Amino acid sequence: MRKYWFVFSIYWQEGLQQRASFFMERFRSLVVLISFYYFWTALLAHRASFAGYDRSQMITYILGMNILRGIVFASRTYEIAGEINHGRLSGYLLKPVNFMAYTFFRDMAEKSINSVSALIEVIGLSWVLHVGIRWPHQASTWAYFLIAIVGAMILNFIMSFIMGCWGFWTAESGGPRFLFELFLEFSAGAFFPLDVLSPKLQAILKMFPSPYLVFYPLHVFLEKLSPAQVINGLGCQLFWITSFGIIAYVVWQKGVEAYGAQGS
Amino acid sequence: MITIKGLTKTFRVAHKAPGLAASFRGLFKREYRDVHAVRDISFSIAEGELVGFLGPNGAGKTTTLKMLSGLLTPTQGQAEVLGFVPWKRERAFQKQFTMVMGQRTQLWWDLPAWDSFLLNKEIYEIPHRQFEETVQELATLLEIHDLLEVPVKKLSLGQRMKAELACSLLHRPRVLLLDEPTIGLDVVMQKKVRDFIRAYNQRWKATIILTSHNMEDVSELCSRVILINHGRLLFNGGLAELQTRFGPESLTEAMRNAFGAVDTPIVV
Repeated sequence: MRKYWFVFSIYWQEGLQQRASFFMERFRSLVVLISFYYFWTALLAHRASFAGYDRSQMITYILGMNILRGIVFASRTYEIAGEINHGRLSGYLLKPVNFMAYTFFRDMAEKSINSVSALIEVIGLSWVLHVGIRWPHQASTWAYFLIAIVGAMILNFIMSFIMGCWGFWTAESGGPRFLFELFLEFSAGAFFPLDVLSPKLQAILKMFPSPYLVFYPLHVFLEKLSPAQVINGLGCQLFWITSFGIIAYVVWQKGVEAYGAQGS
Repeated sequence: MITIKGLTKTFRVAHKAPGLAASFRGLFKREYRDVHAVRDISFSIAEGELVGFLGPNGAGKTTTLKMLSGLLTPTQGQAEVLGFVPWKRERAFQKQFTMVMGQRTQLWWDLPAWDSFLLNKEIYEIPHRQFEETVQELATLLEIHDLLEVPVKKLSLGQRMKAELACSLLHRPRVLLLDEPTIGLDVVMQKKVRDFIRAYNQRWKATIILTSHNMEDVSELCSRVILINHGRLLFNGGLAELQTRFGPESLTEAMRNAFGAVDTPIVV
């Protein structure tokens, strides 16, 4: 286990070395956050609520969304396909290291760097703009929220890992991955709450794993769910994690068999 | 130590005829053909041997090394390295061998080599004391004490190769697969790398397979060579034997003649 914590540490070191990329990424995130904030503030300026959200709930959703983007979506799994296609995967396969665990801790480093920054941005913005955040009333909500975040993080990692494994069979995994991420962020509720959509579309999207990445954890935080719905949601997360975990294992095994180690 | 029997690797690769029309056809129907990278190769290497594995570009050298390291699963045949089947990639096997590819680096580009060393220390679970001793020893042999705290991107190619070698040997592997370790280096650095390989071989009784297009690497280090071309084994025997048969004048001539004239295996 120590080796994977060292992976976490070395990626932090590398992240701190690459300051320009880091600040650019945070600037992009801040622009998105401010845009969403003003958009929803304007929309709710002359009405008490929209799609079941009052002003403080919606603003809390938007700010929470920014933090969850850092925790859930920040990832370096997009590098996997390139590592496969250009033979850099060989460097990992030659060593006594589990590549999935390695990439998970690499992602953890990326997530922690981004989420700490996102948290600072959100706190700063709340303070400057005097934003009223809607905090949970019950202590247990925090516990469920944290479990839901951990579940979301693992679920997104596994799905992204599977997408990265496309590299074993094609050098053109960039296009499918772009579409996957776009659909994932939309259907996860990472642009706006899914309640804004028609009930029919909502019902369809909830059959996918993506709502459990952002929409569900934030609904837990906003206490919009009954205790039974919270438990049911955690169960669904677990189901998707297990299912995709099995798929990831099979895809990885098949992929390594097909690996040509080109370019190395 | 290393035994391979009937090792064969065939790749299925996409084939496209030249021209725009063929590109459009390829959108709907892609054609594939089999490329026989390695065909029915057999040889064995004893503990502590330093063997040159030679052939022209595309001969199948690197593919064979990739199978011996466990990166590729052969289409047919068997191999055993240190008593393990390489492509099962067992941890106990991985901790005892290393593969150095001259055109590849495992060092972290933005960080000093020390950080890559520390990562390998954790990955290979090297005890702290052994790690300290090995680093000292390798750094002295390779003269890289002053370079370890400099970001890798600031090192010259030769310095990087030396750091790469040190990083690959921290776990004291018993089997080394060296794929063109002197490629791109100047003559002084080539000599240093060769001296180091010889010293490591003698110090640890390590078994080494070396591929190189540099005849000085071969003549200085290897007493035995294995030649392959078009995926087939051409020659397996002593360096002196190779020269006697194919080119008494020089090793280069012997190699040229062996690759040019021989279609059937000559195994000594």
